[in-house]
Amino acid sequence: MKKRTAGRKALYVILVVYAIITVIPFLWALSSSFKTLGEIVSGSINFIPKEFTLDNYKQIFTREPLFGRWLFNSLFIATVGTLLNLLFNSMAGYALARLSFPGKKSIFLMILAVLMIPFQVTLIPNFLILKELGWLNSYQGMIIPGAVNATFIFMMRQFFINFPKEVEEAAAIDGLGRFGTFFRIVLPLAKPALAAQTIFVFMAFWNDFMRPLIILSDQDMFTLPLGLNSFKGQFISFWNYIMAASMVFTLPIIVLYAFFNRYFVKGIKFTGDK
Amino acid sequence: MKMLSKKDRREAGQGYLFLLPALLVLGVFVIAPILYAVFLSFHKVELIGGATYEFRGLDNFMKVTFDDRAIIALKNTAIYVAIVVPTQTFLALVLAASLNAGLKGQKFFRIVYFLPTLTSSAVLTLIFMWMYNQNGLINYVLKFLNLPTYNWIGDPDVALIAIMIMNIWATAPFFMVIYLAALQDIPDSHYEAAELDGAGPIQKFWHITVPNLRPVTSFVVIMGLIGTFQLFDQSYIFSGGSGGPNNSTLTVVLLIYQYAFKTLGTMGYATAIAFMLAIIILVATLLQRKFSKEESLY
Amino acid sequence: MRHTKWLSAIGVPSLVLATVLSGCGNDNGKEETQSGKTEIVLSGWGGNPTEKKLLNEVLSDFEKEHPHIDVKLNTISDQYMDVLKTRLIGGTAADVFYLDAFEAPALIETGAVEPLNKYVTKEFDLADFEKPMLDAFKEGEKLYGLPKDYSTLALFYNKKMFKEAGIKEPPKTWEEMEAVAKKLTDQKKQVYGLGMLPQIERMYYMAESQDGQVITDGRATFADDKVVDAIQPVVDMHIKDKTAATPSEVGAGQSAGEMFGRGNAAMVMEGNWNIPFLEDTFPELDYGTAELPTVNGKKGTMSFAVGYAMNAESEHKKESWELIEYLTGKEGMKKWTSKGFALPTRKSVATELGFDQDELRGPLVSGAEYATVWQDGPTLPIVMNNFNNQFLSAYLGDRPLKEALKDAERQANREIKVTE
Repeated sequence: MKKRTAGRKALYVILVVYAIITVIPFLWALSSSFKTLGEIVSGSINFIPKEFTLDNYKQIFTREPLFGRWLFNSLFIATVGTLLNLLFNSMAGYALARLSFPGKKSIFLMILAVLMIPFQVTLIPNFLILKELGWLNSYQGMIIPGAVNATFIFMMRQFFINFPKEVEEAAAIDGLGRFGTFFRIVLPLAKPALAAQTIFVFMAFWNDFMRPLIILSDQDMFTLPLGLNSFKGQFISFWNYIMAASMVFTLPIIVLYAFFNRYFVKGIKFTGDK
Repeated sequence: MKMLSKKDRREAGQGYLFLLPALLVLGVFVIAPILYAVFLSFHKVELIGGATYEFRGLDNFMKVTFDDRAIIALKNTAIYVAIVVPTQTFLALVLAASLNAGLKGQKFFRIVYFLPTLTSSAVLTLIFMWMYNQNGLINYVLKFLNLPTYNWIGDPDVALIAIMIMNIWATAPFFMVIYLAALQDIPDSHYEAAELDGAGPIQKFWHITVPNLRPVTSFVVIMGLIGTFQLFDQSYIFSGGSGGPNNSTLTVVLLIYQYAFKTLGTMGYATAIAFMLAIIILVATLLQRKFSKEESLY
Repeated sequence: MRHTKWLSAIGVPSLVLATVLSGCGNDNGKEETQSGKTEIVLSGWGGNPTEKKLLNEVLSDFEKEHPHIDVKLNTISDQYMDVLKTRLIGGTAADVFYLDAFEAPALIETGAVEPLNKYVTKEFDLADFEKPMLDAFKEGEKLYGLPKDYSTLALFYNKKMFKEAGIKEPPKTWEEMEAVAKKLTDQKKQVYGLGMLPQIERMYYMAESQDGQVITDGRATFADDKVVDAIQPVVDMHIKDKTAATPSEVGAGQSAGEMFGRGNAAMVMEGNWNIPFLEDTFPELDYGTAELPTVNGKKGTMSFAVGYAMNAESEHKKESWELIEYLTGKEGMKKWTSKGFALPTRKSVATELGFDQDELRGPLVSGAEYATVWQDGPTLPIVMNNFNNQFLSAYLGDRPLKEALKDAERQANREIKVTE
């Protein structure tokens, strides 16, 4: 028994130390966002601001009237993009896991191969294709090329491979066709996997920097990372503003995560679901 | 070859239909661009001011042999991959195993640990640059502990290490969650049996947890390889796009970016390097699969 | 039966797709401006907020005078040239854009920049421009841009520190500066005599002061002893005298201005941009400016010019020219440079605004006469990148300067070869 508690203590030490390591950068950024420029420049190290101020947050919203618009663009692109991903990736993953058809193996290998191509390879050709479609500087230009994600096709395939066949067979007996089974039975049962995907895909859209930088040219069309960057450009030494903007930028994702957290770990399964 | 039965044919049709949206998007926005990139890699390309293409055969692929910076970039990237992938995988595993021990408050730790993964790399890089500052938090702590301090961003000897630390910190929790999910599928009976044999927590970790997680580890390592070989954002922001100081943060993808966007007329060369990188990643992945001997995932 | 379900399954995604597409279609796309106005887009980098506000004022003045034109300002605040090049490829670049003299030759070579000769009128008075700045945008006889403003480098010195060290006036020669820097340095307090960015753009004039060439016929030649010897003093100040440091060594990132403002450096060599920066960030600081110390008895400094250029693919060239004409004309330039964010490239405007009499800006204006324009053909960006990369290792004392520059020269030339 004693040994057990000693082991537990050791585990707690690991967990707490690592939690501190994880949290400190955020606390430091948060604390900097409440400091005055004078305190930032003086280079003193203290987590509690000597002169607590909310001015940095006020400034970023008043000095940047487009902030709300950027927030909307980011939310819109990320939300629609995520919905499309959920649908398309699940369908593809399901087909690769459950249905047999000629060429399945090569299609699967192709999708795996797509994962390995650095996106810089396709960046310029992609850009030229969007130009031909007239989709530059548009929402669809941001959403459609990212509406499918090879990683999550792969993940959904793993999920469906371990999905109990009996459920589908029962559905088939009830007279549901393949698509009915998929949309009415399979997808609802795949909620945990979809929740995990939601967070990852939403994050990918939300945080994407390189693609919007190239595709979007109107300030009205900017997403938040571009906005943050333009903000950084304007206030190079104003770490207090930069940190405040960084915090505002991070908040929505944390809220989303808190919301989906309950499904989260359950969703990322590679070896079966119970 | 057997003719497909009616049922088989219907199933095949359904399969293609299910895959259709994915194949359409991947086809137009990934496969077609790749083919186009193949074309570019055999040409000298200038896209500004009316596109011009000049066929150069294998020229672009040969250039790598005398381009010092390509060799430096490859070396930096290799070092980075070799250190980051094992470290983050191991750290993720240890954290997941600790979290899974059924301690109180594990939900809290799980949320805390996941914070870095939720934050965009652009924001994280900014926060770390702020902490890596010569008079910043990290040097302050080092000084407090009587350890040597560094000019993390400006000193070529440590700049890449600074990025490694940051990335291990940021990506380990992501893989931790994947491990955590898999850990819940290891039957308790395995552990109970080991306990009866008198195994301590460390033995249990090595003899039950690690072997049972092998397929997931394989996945984590492959994702890690792909991610680390493609390091870009962090070295771009740290060095302001130059790969400095003294080429110490120049990675292959950053080099590709420079040749594609900064230098005019080297688009073809950039795509040639990109293809070589893709081949390296492919080979590394295949090697990993060979070593892990674990096929259940694929 | 089955078939209808199939169809509905395909129908859902495509419906979503269609909704998204049509939904966003309305939202973007260049609106035809109402009431027959022509919209032209202007791109530049950010600048600080006050500067941006000033530019907006100048632009609305222009719109008042040219009621048929609507100017849309589109700022690219980071990676300006990369983004600009990408947009030129995509056909979404602005009609009129900022162009740094240093990047101009390479971009002009591609044919993406419209020659301006045919638009320029007599009244526009090209001769009024400072010639070196105008030449920076010329290729042969063709003019590809008009310099909107410029800055040289001057020596910024901290008056309080100078007083405390008993130094009466700023150093006039490099040797004097070395001596003064020794007095001003206090390593324990992280105070250095000179704050220095170890970059070639800050010392090009020095590098070529002994008749060496950094670039010859488009190839890097800076490992030449004449160049190495000329810049050796910069390195020595850092590793031998230990009286100079880079901003990042004292935690000021890449900003020598910040290093100076915080009191980590008693002197820095900076441009006009540093004046509004210090005013905003360190309003209490008491400092002065002087011309850069002479090297071997010769005056020298760098000058950085930025111009307006026209997109060769612009659909509104006439209107674009009207904008450039206004912004670089006497009236527009006067307004733009009146607040002192940048120095006017027109002699008449400079005289009228009297910056040569200005206490802080005087030394910057005097430098224009003998300054080396930061530009040296299309290969300069590559040469710069390689030089800066390796120079740093010499600056930090990791290896001898000659050796580092030899490596850098070889790398630069190989990279240039790669581009051919």
